[in-house]
Amino acid sequence: MAENDISIIHPRPSSIVAALYTLRDLNVDVAILHGPPGCSFKHARLLEEDGIHVVTTALDENGFIFGGREELSTMLVKVNEMFNPKLIGVVGTCVSMIIGEELSEPVKDANLDVPVIGVEVHAGFPNNTKGVLIALESACEAGVITDEELERQKVLLTEATNVEKRHGAASKEYLVPSRGDLKYKVAEKVINYLKEGKKCLTIMNAKKETGYMFADITVAINEVAAQLGVADNVINMANVDDTLGLPRVRQHATYIMNDFREKGIVIHEIIGGMDEYPIAGELVSKLIAEKYSDFDFAVITGVPHAIPMDNLQNMDVISVTNGPRQVFPLKDMGHSNVIVEIDLHPKTLGVNNIVESEFGATIREVVKDMQNAEEA
Amino acid sequence: MMEQKRIAIYGKGGIGKSSTASNVAAACADEGYKVMIIGCDPKSDSSITLLGGKRIPTILDLLRQKIDVKEEDIVYEGYKGVKCVEVGGPEPGIGCAGRGIIVAIQKLRQMCKSIDDMDLIIYDVPGDIVCGGFVAPIRKGLVNEAYILTSGEYMPLYAANNICKGLAKIDTPLSGIICNSRSVTREEEIVRKFSEEIGSKLMAFIPKEQIVQDCERDGFSVLEKAPDSPVAGVYRELAHAIMSNDSSVLPSSLEDERLRELTR
Ligand code: SF4
Repeated sequence: MAENDISIIHPRPSSIVAALYTLRDLNVDVAILHGPPGCSFKHARLLEEDGIHVVTTALDENGFIFGGREELSTMLVKVNEMFNPKLIGVVGTCVSMIIGEELSEPVKDANLDVPVIGVEVHAGFPNNTKGVLIALESACEAGVITDEELERQKVLLTEATNVEKRHGAASKEYLVPSRGDLKYKVAEKVINYLKEGKKCLTIMNAKKETGYMFADITVAINEVAAQLGVADNVINMANVDDTLGLPRVRQHATYIMNDFREKGIVIHEIIGGMDEYPIAGELVSKLIAEKYSDFDFAVITGVPHAIPMDNLQNMDVISVTNGPRQVFPLKDMGHSNVIVEIDLHPKTLGVNNIVESEFGATIREVVKDMQNAEEA
Repeated sequence: MMEQKRIAIYGKGGIGKSSTASNVAAACADEGYKVMIIGCDPKSDSSITLLGGKRIPTILDLLRQKIDVKEEDIVYEGYKGVKCVEVGGPEPGIGCAGRGIIVAIQKLRQMCKSIDDMDLIIYDVPGDIVCGGFVAPIRKGLVNEAYILTSGEYMPLYAANNICKGLAKIDTPLSGIICNSRSVTREEEIVRKFSEEIGSKLMAFIPKEQIVQDCERDGFSVLEKAPDSPVAGVYRELAHAIMSNDSSVLPSSLEDERLRELTR
C-alpha cells in the first residue's frame, strides 16, 4: 500500500455499532447480533443500560464454515419468549456477511408475529454512518419509518460525515487525544465575564442522548447568572425540537425540555431536532447575525465543530465536547477554551433527566468559593 | 531418510486432477512409499478410487456434527496402505468452504501423528482458487512442491497460466507441468512449449484412454484394476518422475496473445 493510500489510521467507530444505536433510536426491544460472541460487546453492554436487549448468535468456527441459519432462527424464537418484544432488530457482522449469510430466511423460519428489521451490515465501511444508513433503509423496507423520514435522515448523515471531515476527528491524519483546558479555570473566566455584565450565548448543539449532560451546562450558567443578578444577559439556544427524528430521539428532546421548564430555564431559540446537530450550525449563524452579533462570549456544547465560525469572530468562544480528539481541531478553529466531558456516554444512556456535568458542577462550586472569599 | 514430499496438484476444474492424484498415489504405494492423499475439494472424491469406490466421512462432516474428531475417524487406509483423508465442505451455497479447508487442515495436522511418517503427501486442491482458504495448504507451509495439470486446449492452458501468476505471487515454486490429454492436435508439443516458456518442464503426457474412465467408474485406480495397461505405465513413470524431481522454479507467465498463438 502506498503511503498516500492510507486514509484511516485510527480505528473508526464500527458500522455494526452504528446500526445498533440506530435500532435503539427506532425503539427496538431486542437486537440480535448475528456473528461471533465477542463482536461489539462493549456497546452491547452500554445499550443494555439504555434499556434495549442486545444478544448474539455466538457463531463459532463451525458457524463460520457452515453458516448459522438455525442459530439465528432459534435465537429469534428464544428472545421472543424471553422479552416479549414489539420490534426486533437483527444485525449482521463481518463474519456472517463474508460467508454470505442471509438474514431474512431465518426470520421466516422463526415465524413470529413481531416485525423484524434485518440489517445486513459489517464493519468494513470507512464511514460508520453507513451502518446507520443500512439500518434506516432496512427499517423503511420493514415499514417502521416512512420514506420521508429516510430521506431526511440521509441528508443529516451526509452532513454529519462532512462535519467530521471538515473540522472533526476525521479531518486530520493523526490526532493526539487531549483532556482540554482545566475546568475550574474556565469556570472562573465564565463567572467573571458574567459578573462584568458581559452578554452570554449558550448554544447546545448536542447529538441525541448526549444532550442529557450538555444541557446541564446551560442550566449551570443560567443558575449562576441568576445568582449574580444578570439572568437577562444570557440567551439560550438548544436543538431540542421534539417533533423531529426517530421515536427515541424525539423522546430525548421532550424529556430535556421538561427539565429546562421545571428549572425555569427559557430556551430562546430552538435550533433543530436532536438529530440535527450537523445542520443546526447554519441557523445558529443566521440568528447570531440577525440578533446577537453584539454578544461578548459564547459557550457551545455538544458538537461545537458543527457551528461555523463566521459570525463568532468577535466573541470569545468556549466549547465543551465529549471527544478528546476534538480538542485540537476546535482550537484550530479559533475556540479560546476547549473542555472535555469525560465518560459522558455511559452516564447519559438509559436516563430521562438532565444529568450533572463536570463543567456544570465546577461552575456551581467555583461561584460558591468566590462568594465565600468575598464575604470573608 | 528421504525428505518428505508434500505436493499439490493444481489445474482447471474437471481436467482430471483427482484421477491423476489417485493414480500417482497408487503407483507410489506400489513402489513401497508411504503415501497420504488429502482431498480438499468439497466434492470429496479424490480418494474414492483408492477405497474401492467407497466414500469416507469428511473432516468437515464430523466437525459439523460437533464430534471430537480422532485420527481414526478421518484417516482411512486404501489401496496398498495409502492413507486417505477428505476435507469435505459445507452444503453448496452456504457458509465458507475456504475457511473450512483452513480449519480442517489445522485439525488434521493437530491430531494425525502419522502424517510426519509419510514419504509423499498429495493435496488434491480445487482447481478454481477462489479465495485465500483454497491456497491455505500452500500458505501454511504444508506444501513444498506444486504441479499444474493441463491439456493442450486453450481454456485449461489459460487457467494454468493464471495459476502460474498466482504461484509467483505467493512465492511458491512450480515443480512441473503434467499434460492430461484431450486428444487435441499437436497437444504434447503445445504443452511442452508452454512448460518451457514459463520456465518449467513437462513431467508426463497422459494419453486419453477409455480404460481410465472405466476403472474410475468401477471405483478403482488404473494401477489396481488394469496394472498392465500402457496408461498404468505412464502413471508409474510420472510417479517416478515426481519422486525423483528435485528442481523447481518460480514460474513466469505468458501474455494472452502468446497463449493464443501457442494453441492456434
Ligand atoms: S471483525 Fe467484525 S465481526 Fe469480528 S468482532 Fe470485529 S466487528 Fe465484529
